[in-house]
This record gives sequence, C-alpha cells and structure tokens, in this order.
Amino acid sequence: METHTGMQSPKGVWWKRAHPTERMWVAIAFGWCMVLFAMMPLWHFKGGQNPAGVRYRVKPADYMRRTQEFIAAHKVGTDQGIPIVEPPAGSDIYLIGLSFAWHPILKLRQGTEYTLHLSSLDVNHGFSLYPMNINFQVVPGYDYGLRVTPTEAGDLRIVCNEFCGIGHHTMVGRVIVTDSAGREVAVADRAEITREVAP
Amino acid sequence: MPPEQRSAADPSEPVPLGQRFFDNWLLLMVLGIVIMLLVFTGWGLWEITSLEPSPLP
Amino acid sequence: MTAPAKAGDFRTCPVTGLQIHRDAERLIRANAVAATVSLLIGGIAAVLVLLTRWQAVHLLPAHWFYRILTVHGMSMLIFFILFFEMGILYFTSAVLLNSRVAAPRTAWGAFWLMVGGALVVEWAMWTGRADVLFSSYVPLRAHPLYYLGIIIFAVGALVVTILFFATLVVAKRERTYHGSVPLITYGGATAAIISVITLGHGAGIYIPTFLWSLGLMEVDPQVYRMVWWALGHSSQQINVAAMVAVWYLLGALTVGAVVLNEKISRTAFVLYILFISMASAHHLLVDPGMGPAWKIVNTSYFMYMAVLASLIHGFTVPAGIELGQRLRGFGDGLFGWLRRAPWGDPGFSSLIFSIVVFGFVGGITGVTFGTEQINIIAHNTLRIPGHFHSTVVSGTAMAFMGLTYYVIPLIFRKQVAFYPLARIQPYLFAGGMLLFSMTMTFAGTFGVPRRHWDISFAQAPFDVQFNPAVDLLLGLMAVGGLLAAVGGAVYIVVTVWSVFFGRPLETRAGAAVGVPPGIGSPPRHLPDADRINEELHSPARGLWGPAPGTLSLAFVFLLAFVVYYFVNWKLLSFVWKVG
Repeated sequence: METHTGMQSPKGVWWKRAHPTERMWVAIAFGWCMVLFAMMPLWHFKGGQNPAGVRYRVKPADYMRRTQEFIAAHKVGTDQGIPIVEPPAGSDIYLIGLSFAWHPILKLRQGTEYTLHLSSLDVNHGFSLYPMNINFQVVPGYDYGLRVTPTEAGDLRIVCNEFCGIGHHTMVGRVIVTDSAGREVAVADRAEITREVAP
Repeated sequence: MPPEQRSAADPSEPVPLGQRFFDNWLLLMVLGIVIMLLVFTGWGLWEITSLEPSPLP
Repeated sequence: MTAPAKAGDFRTCPVTGLQIHRDAERLIRANAVAATVSLLIGGIAAVLVLLTRWQAVHLLPAHWFYRILTVHGMSMLIFFILFFEMGILYFTSAVLLNSRVAAPRTAWGAFWLMVGGALVVEWAMWTGRADVLFSSYVPLRAHPLYYLGIIIFAVGALVVTILFFATLVVAKRERTYHGSVPLITYGGATAAIISVITLGHGAGIYIPTFLWSLGLMEVDPQVYRMVWWALGHSSQQINVAAMVAVWYLLGALTVGAVVLNEKISRTAFVLYILFISMASAHHLLVDPGMGPAWKIVNTSYFMYMAVLASLIHGFTVPAGIELGQRLRGFGDGLFGWLRRAPWGDPGFSSLIFSIVVFGFVGGITGVTFGTEQINIIAHNTLRIPGHFHSTVVSGTAMAFMGLTYYVIPLIFRKQVAFYPLARIQPYLFAGGMLLFSMTMTFAGTFGVPRRHWDISFAQAPFDVQFNPAVDLLLGLMAVGGLLAAVGGAVYIVVTVWSVFFGRPLETRAGAAVGVPPGIGSPPRHLPDADRINEELHSPARGLWGPAPGTLSLAFVFLLAFVVYYFVNWKLLSFVWKVG
C-alpha cells in the first residue's frame, strides 16, 4: 500500500474511500457538530439568556429625549450628579452610553422583568454588567431592547468594555438591584460608593 | 521525489467527478465568494437595513 | 506573463530534490524578512502592553497604551502574519510544483506595495494619528493616511494572491507536476481563496471608511462592524488554512508524516473554503443590528461544517505523523511514536505545540465563546484575547516559527545560528504562551475587560472590586507573557543572525551542522514500509486502525471539548434572564 507525504502529488485517482477508523472519527465529529448546532436554537426557545431582543434604528437625539423623559418621570435621587431612576415593573427602561459615562443609574427590583434599552450617543461602547458578566455591544444609531430580569439583589457596576477613547477606562456606571421587597441590600463584597469626585 | 512526481497518472482510470470538482480551484473560489456574499454579507446588510426606525421619542 | 524560464533560473534542492525558481526563492526571503521585522515591532509593543496591563507595573500612560495596543494588533495580526503567508504562497505554488513564479516583476511590485503600505500605517500609528485600535470602529476616526496605507497593503497582498493562482496555471500548462497538486499546495490554495474573500471585504469597508475620514461620505457604525469583521476574522481564517498546510509540511520534513487519505484531508480544506469565513459573525453576536437566525447560521460556520473540517485536520495531521513514525520503525506500543519523535528538532516541537495548544485551548474556547448565547458572558472580556492568543500566536505563529528553522537552511541556505538556543525556543515560547492564554482567559471569566488601561478604575466615579484571584491571574499572565517574549526574542535573534551573518551550510564528518535533523538526515521510511502500512490498515486491527495513539488523544480532546462547552452553558444559566 503506497504512502506519500503532503509535499508530493498523489498518483492518479486519489478519490478513494477512507479507512473505517477515519470514517468513524469523521462521523463522531459530525455528530458533535450537530449537537453544537442544535444547542443554539434549543436555547433560543427554551433557555433564559438570548441576545434576541427588540431592535430598532434610532436617531441619537430622539433616544436622548426619550431617556430624559424617562429620567424625569422616575427619578428618585442622584449619585455624583447622575440621576438614580426607579422605574415601574415591566416598563421600558433606558440607558445611554456616552463618552465617558452611563446615564442614568437604574434602580431595579430582583425578580422583576423590564425591557432594558441600550444605545450610544456617540461611539461604540461595551455594556458589561459586573459582577454577573453580562455583555452587550452598544452601537450609536441603534436601540437594543433586551427583556431582563435581575436574579439577585446588589450594588452592581457597568464597565465599558469597548474602546471609546481616551477616557474609556473611567467609564463605569452603576445599577442598584433591590430585593423583591424593594429594600436596598448592602452586601459586603459589593462596591460601595467611595468617590466624592465626579467623573 | 521529482521522479515520483513526474510519473504520469494512469490514463485508463477515469477521474471521479468529486476529484475533478476538488481540483477546480476557480469553481471553489467562486462558490466560496458567493456563499459568503449571500449568507453573511448580503443577508447581514438586509438585516441591518430592514430594522424598523424606532417609535421614539 | 513572462517567457518560460531557462534552466539557469532554477536550482535543485539537495534535500528535497525540488526545482526552486530563483525568483521564488528571493521573494520568499524578502517576505520572511519583512515578516520578522513586523514581528519585532509587534513584539516590542506586546511587552509594553503586557507591562501596562500588569497593574503592579502599569508602565505606559493611557494614551500610549491605546496607541501601542493598536500597533501590536496591526503589526502582528496583519503585517507579520500576511508577509509570512505571502512567503508560504510562493512556496506552496512555485517551489512545491517545481515551477517558475508567474510575472516576477509584478510580484516584486506587490511586495513593495505591501512594504510601503505597512510603513505608512506604522507611521500613522506611532505618531498618534490612529489611536483607534486594530478594529478602528467607526465613528472613532483616524487620519486618512492610516486607512490609505492599509488599502495599499491589501492591494499588494491581493496581487500576490492572484499571482499564486497564475503560478498554478503556469505550472499546470508547463507540466512541472503531474496529477493533482500536493496536499500542502491545496492548503495554500485554500488560504489564497479565503484571502480573496477577506481582501474583497477589506476593500469594501476600508475604501468607504477612507472616504468618510476625508468627510466625503457617511459610514453606518453597524454596517462597518459587520463588513470589517468579514475582513478581520476571515484574515485569521487565512491563517488557519496556512497553519494547517504548514502542519502537513513540517510533519513531512521532520518525521516523514504521510497523508492518510487525500479525499478526507481535501474535503476538510473545501469545507474551509465554503464555510469558514461566515463565522466572522461571532464578533457580532451581541450586536443590535442582526437577528438570531443570521447570528446562529453564520456563527456556526454553517452548521459547524468548518469546525468539522478542523476536527478532521486535528485527526489527520497527528495520525499522519504517527503513521510516518510507525513506518520508520518507531511504532512500539500506543505512544512509542511520540516518545521516540525528534523532540530536539525545533521544527517538530513547534509543530506539536502548535497542534495541541491550537486545538485544546484555542479551538475549544473559540467554538464555545462563538455560541450565540454563551457569547453574552464572554464578549469583550479578556476571554477573547485569551482565546485568540492561543490560536493565532500559540497555533499559527508557533507553526510559522518552527517552519523558519527549515526555511533558513532550505531557502536561505544558511545554518541556524545559536542552534542549541533554537532547539529550546519552541519550549520557551509555547510554555509562556500557554500560561499567558490560559490565565488571561480565566481572568476574563471574572469579567475583566479587554482593551482597558486601568482595571483598578482609579479615575472612575464608582469602584469595581474584582475578585482577588484576578490580581494573581494577571500576575501569572505577565510571567507567561514575558517568558513568551523571551522565546520570541530568541526566535528573532536566531533568524536575523542566521540570515545576515549565518554560516553557509556545511557537513562535518558526514553530519550536517547547525541545522534540524530533517535537513541533514531526512526521515526515511523502512524499506518494507508499504508492507508495514498494509498491516497497519488491515481489518484485524479493528476500529483502532493504523493510528491508535492519535485516536486515543482525539477522544481525550473530544471529552475536554464536551466538558468545557457544557460547563459554559451552566455558567450562562446563572446570570440574569436576558432576551
């Protein structure tokens, strides 16, 4: 049985059946590929985390106006000049990414569903909710509406993880999640607000 | 190695269609380009441009 | 095209017997040198970036960090890799087919276009005119010359790609080979085809963006991301195809690795051609512009058919090595072929590290993070650069480095300088990069962002307390990175010295000096290799077949894949409901 290396032209007809072992490996690999593929539609319909959402094109000026109305309607305080907003359950809530801050601070309730809208007023930003490590791309001109349900109470952070300019590493936002009774939870290992200086 | 590479293919064995298809790099290139343009680029552009304008504000 | 070559335009390689066209040789040398210079620039940038992300040192100020990060990405992912691949294209066409290069003057023109474009881009980056990172997402804006330089570079690369196919046509017409092209050339053709897809999309996005930077047109940010990544990731798929071709090549040169079945191996390359480029979508899985159907179909490389291709090569390449070794008489037990392999041959050790790290770390993490939903817990965290350092660096670059130790004697016809150092270089580099990639990936699971100057968030309004493990991980990442940098530096010193100051090839008392064993004593199968091969393929061996060692390792790999994949689904299930 002749052999040759990959450097040599195969002689004549090389379109031949492979050895059963090789065919077995290909079959197993193919089966695994089918599992990999099936998982995505499966999770899409049965799983709790999907990037599907309600998606629109939007003019940044319009998005900003809507967000300002949202803030005005549900503002309950401020933190270093950024409004804290406590929206009703099930409502559309709005977050703006703008170099180099996230507006507003959302105060949400554990176990409650909201439609969180994400958009940027200038360049690409990265919405990275810490510590749950939920990440989405925030694109100017696009409204990404995700139905979210916070699973535990805490004092969370939004880290910008898409380079947006020289102040990128200062772009940190805050999300407060109260427990299902609406109480703020002071958890020792969550970040407390320690800065007096505004961004 | 060169003498082995230069030995002629057996002329009496017909070359299977699959081998001829795989040997046709131009056809493969065209298919690769077309598939990419349809499934990724074209469909992707259609997705983006068919997004509804937002009802906001 | 130029007139057919005369006999004096070729030389016969004393090791392989191939007829090497002198223009091909010069073009390979030129591209290898350009690649190494790019690697040096990118490598210096790498160390500077590393010493900044290692918060204990935090070397560069913010604007320099983002600037040098741009230099690092562009110099490594585009300039180093593509220059080296141009060399591979000339090798797999002209050299492997004993042919002349089609249109050498055009080839040189293309080379200088690439050099010119690269110089303009480097100038733009270093002078602060392109602080936009490698992906330059619109509306971040760079100086118009930055985009123009990239376009010029890409035009040069496209010309070289076209000349690759022109050379295939010339070789066939002039009957410099018979039958089908060798498998390694087929891998080169795969890389070249993907290159056409890549560069086409590159033109499609960089030309409008160049015009936008001049204020002449609008570019939508979401459209930019989509088309740019068709360039950005597909360029890395060129790397995958070229790397696999190099795997087969190094296998042949170091241990006489054989092709188990041409149909199967070529099918895998064809699957790459048809389906690998669309997986650029895995950068866009959490973007608003596209819907789930588009994301799922594209990120899956069309139902994972291109992943199937990688799983095929992941078997056939080591199996070919195993078979080659068994046919040389090193076939004792299940893993004798591996134990008795030439681990002191830097070409061989690079080959094995490339396959193992690319597969186990790169491949598994890549497919996992590229899952539409799992991407939610991975996007833009350190898991992403952790992944691609294990593919592009520990996989492709490692393989290319290993190949260089054969290119130096075969094409430059010099001894490998500091050969004892060259022998351990792959171990330094692979070991360092393995530690680097794994710690980086792990840090990413804690949410540490990529492309970020300061994760102590000293200037941010709210503080972020990462898990204390993150500091340890980033420290280890620095250790791994510095070790790899030493390995990279050794590689550059060895290659530059060999090429410019190296001693010509010599033999002493019948043994070749200062070159890998595959040069001085090329691997030879036993005289009754055909009979041994027949036995190895006999049905009496059952399903374990001719390469039982490889099959066992393949199953271990599959198990690791299944476990890592489903663990990540579990991790995803713990976060907020999102949809």
